[in-house]
Amino acid sequence: MKKFKYIFLVLLVAGISACRKLNIPPKNIIQDPQVFTSTGGIQAYMARIYSELPIEDFRYSPDMGLNFFWIIKPTPATTGEALSRDQGGSTGENFGGWHWDVWAGNYTTIHDCDYFIQTLPTYASTYTPAQVNAWLGEAYFVRAMTYFALVKRFGGVPIVNKVLNYTPGSDVADLKVPRSSEQAVWDQIGSDLDFAIANLPAVNSDYGDGTRANKFVAAAFKSRAMLYAGSIAKYNTATLFDAAKNQLCGIPSTAAAGYFQKAYDAAKLLDGQYSLYLSAWSPTDKAAQYQNFVNLFSDPASKENIFVRQYQYPNSVHGYDAYNVPRQLMGPNGYSSEVNPTLDFVEKFGGLPKNPDGTLKTLDASGHYILFNNTMDIFANVEPRLRASVILPGDVFKGQNIEIRRGIYTGPSAGGISPLLPAGSKSQYPSTNLVVSSNSGQTAYKLPDGTLMNPAGLSGVFTGDQTCAISGFSVRKWLNPNLATSQVLENNETQTWIEMRYAEVLLNKAEAAAELASLGQTGSINTSDAFTIVNQIRSRAGATLLAGAGDAKIDTVRAERRKELAFENKTYWDLKRWRIFDKEQNGTIYRVLMPFYSAQAGKYFFDQRTDERNNVYTYDTRWYYEQIPGGAISKSSNLIQNPGY
Amino acid sequence: MKKIFYYSALCLAIAITSSCSKVDNYPAPSDTLTGSTIDEATGKTLQTEVGGGGTRVKLLETSYSANPVPEYFQSKQDGTFNNTKVFAATYKISVEGPFVPLVQTDNTGNVVSDSSQTVVLKGSATVNFKVQPFLRVEWVGSPVVNADKSVTVQVKVTRGTNNPAYQSDVTNINLYVSNTQYDGSNNYDPRYSTLVSYNGSTGTALLGQTISITTTGGALPDQDVYFRVGARINAGLNQYNYTTPVSAH
Repeated sequence: MKKFKYIFLVLLVAGISACRKLNIPPKNIIQDPQVFTSTGGIQAYMARIYSELPIEDFRYSPDMGLNFFWIIKPTPATTGEALSRDQGGSTGENFGGWHWDVWAGNYTTIHDCDYFIQTLPTYASTYTPAQVNAWLGEAYFVRAMTYFALVKRFGGVPIVNKVLNYTPGSDVADLKVPRSSEQAVWDQIGSDLDFAIANLPAVNSDYGDGTRANKFVAAAFKSRAMLYAGSIAKYNTATLFDAAKNQLCGIPSTAAAGYFQKAYDAAKLLDGQYSLYLSAWSPTDKAAQYQNFVNLFSDPASKENIFVRQYQYPNSVHGYDAYNVPRQLMGPNGYSSEVNPTLDFVEKFGGLPKNPDGTLKTLDASGHYILFNNTMDIFANVEPRLRASVILPGDVFKGQNIEIRRGIYTGPSAGGISPLLPAGSKSQYPSTNLVVSSNSGQTAYKLPDGTLMNPAGLSGVFTGDQTCAISGFSVRKWLNPNLATSQVLENNETQTWIEMRYAEVLLNKAEAAAELASLGQTGSINTSDAFTIVNQIRSRAGATLLAGAGDAKIDTVRAERRKELAFENKTYWDLKRWRIFDKEQNGTIYRVLMPFYSAQAGKYFFDQRTDERNNVYTYDTRWYYEQIPGGAISKSSNLIQNPGY
Repeated sequence: MKKIFYYSALCLAIAITSSCSKVDNYPAPSDTLTGSTIDEATGKTLQTEVGGGGTRVKLLETSYSANPVPEYFQSKQDGTFNNTKVFAATYKISVEGPFVPLVQTDNTGNVVSDSSQTVVLKGSATVNFKVQPFLRVEWVGSPVVNADKSVTVQVKVTRGTNNPAYQSDVTNINLYVSNTQYDGSNNYDPRYSTLVSYNGSTGTALLGQTISITTTGGALPDQDVYFRVGARINAGLNQYNYTTPVSAH
């Protein structure tokens, strides 16, 4: 019996001591002290919030969202910069499709920033004040960027600057944060970036290579965000109010000048800190200007790079080359030519023979096609920046002539060749006197001199499968000229995405200055800035300079911006904030340039026409404010849907 | 062994299928809401386009919540609407489309006028809305087939409202050609349709005049072809006002 007593006692003692241990943090989950007390832990936290940073990089398309590998409806094919066989017309962003939870995703990032901002001060004694301030600055920077990603899509969104905690059993009403006014969100972005500018060092002390924010990165994005806000105030017409009269969509136009001034001032902070890339540039040599503009996108030492996203095989990769190489350099996955620049885009550049109405001159005075020995002859004097952005038919890439030809014209050439179709016709080409190929398995045509020639070029145009340069052009920008064709694979490319480069900051400044001048607010700007900057950009590009300061109006700055930042996923947002998407895409069929070879003349001619597929682009004005996902409204019924959905 | 397997499979199958038999504890919505959007001046229903770019009906279920999430359904092309799957409830109903909004707010968010109708839906109800279209687009005569088999139509565009807030310039007058009567800005044949955008007041200057528009692209194909003219101003969601669809063959 005594034995039992002892056993009973032992059990009690064991039981008591066990009680203490039950209430401990789970050992298999990393706790705040482990994360916030070591620089390694902080770095891991930063890696997470930077990887969540919503920027439209190599892994973005409006149809499939952010951070997705399969980019077959590329952004340039939605803006008129290019055509893609997979993009049939205008589009808004597709938040419901694939995996893109734009609402919960961005609010997770904001939560992660809020949590960091709230928690780090508790552990501040572990670090120097400079370290703490810099990291806080980065969290504010990422939060600002995330609000920016939301407000440019939806207008006013809920501002959640502290971590929301749910106590089981409590009322969730106060967790359903309503939308703030659009202006309040832009001001939140401005103040978050101001905090980042004030607290970040000039060079990020953890990573100084532009992958993480510094003072000037924050200032550069402030110039972008404030310019966006100013444009909304000036050009937006849609409005939406909630019951408390907060303006959820739209900003009073009186606020425009204030935002443009902030954009101007923020851009000015970068003066002397970064510079336009000119390493291989020469003022007289067009080939050097071309090579310089090509190198700009791959030189890690470029002083023009302000903020970049790096990739690394196999952890973080993209497939830009696999989707976009010209057809004849197609990689083993079988993709190619997703971005085919339109003639409308190419005509924006200088150095081309033009008609008085600005279109490319392809007919002589008698209305016959102008004949060329070589497809590159018409582009002989073209601005080097165009060659560095677009592969022109017959230009050299990876040591090959990129051969683009629509077909062989077998009709008579004596006395000149008349246009194949009446001007403006949207019909198919006639089948008489034309030899074409429907795919890359071609049957060669015997020319009058006995030599054989394929009807289409190696990179198209193939009438059947359209896996080719359907516009007569292929994209050049970002492509890696040193990647072996066997390595042109999806999920295999690692070239760096430049999200913010100094040219954009300059153009932000120029646009803000031009906008302020148009509003009569020239008190605190240098009125010659727009002129100086456009000429700086043009000089580097090898383009013709503006003659006088009076030429540097808003439209000039915008045109320069669209040429300089083409294929960088920026034009989509520019057309949106200028509210001209619906004017440009209003039953629009984009134009293409089709090179033909005349068998009898032994020369090439060009036919310009509308997209042969007759794909019509009509932008729905509702898309200026995207539809808030239904799932977000179901969860938080205080959210008011945007107009028209 | 095999027997045990089959018996257990049978048991599982019964368990699974019987779990499906529970019925939803609410009956399906079965009430009907019909009505139309009517041009105040002409008394005719207001033409619109099918799909998201046309007139739609907005329902606020006020008997459910004082501040309900709105529900919408789309009007037909001819301006009438009919929904046979609506829950019986009290609704505040309005329509949205290419006409002066029924609910107007000023530039600070104050509601200045509200012509919504409140309906207690039980069984069925009909609601008609008298609206002022931004533009009134009317045929003048019938489409004429030209010698080259293209077609010329004549229309007259006038303003449908005197409200000074909706007098902005006419931006587009388009002749849409389609092989179905569901012809409009979201469904037309780009080879033959004639789309014209106007800058400044050039489009506005055409108001009240008889305008001739000819199809583009030469001869029309030998099949049923429908014509419809749409015009718009820069207001609201920039939707088009339309003529009725007519056929030339």
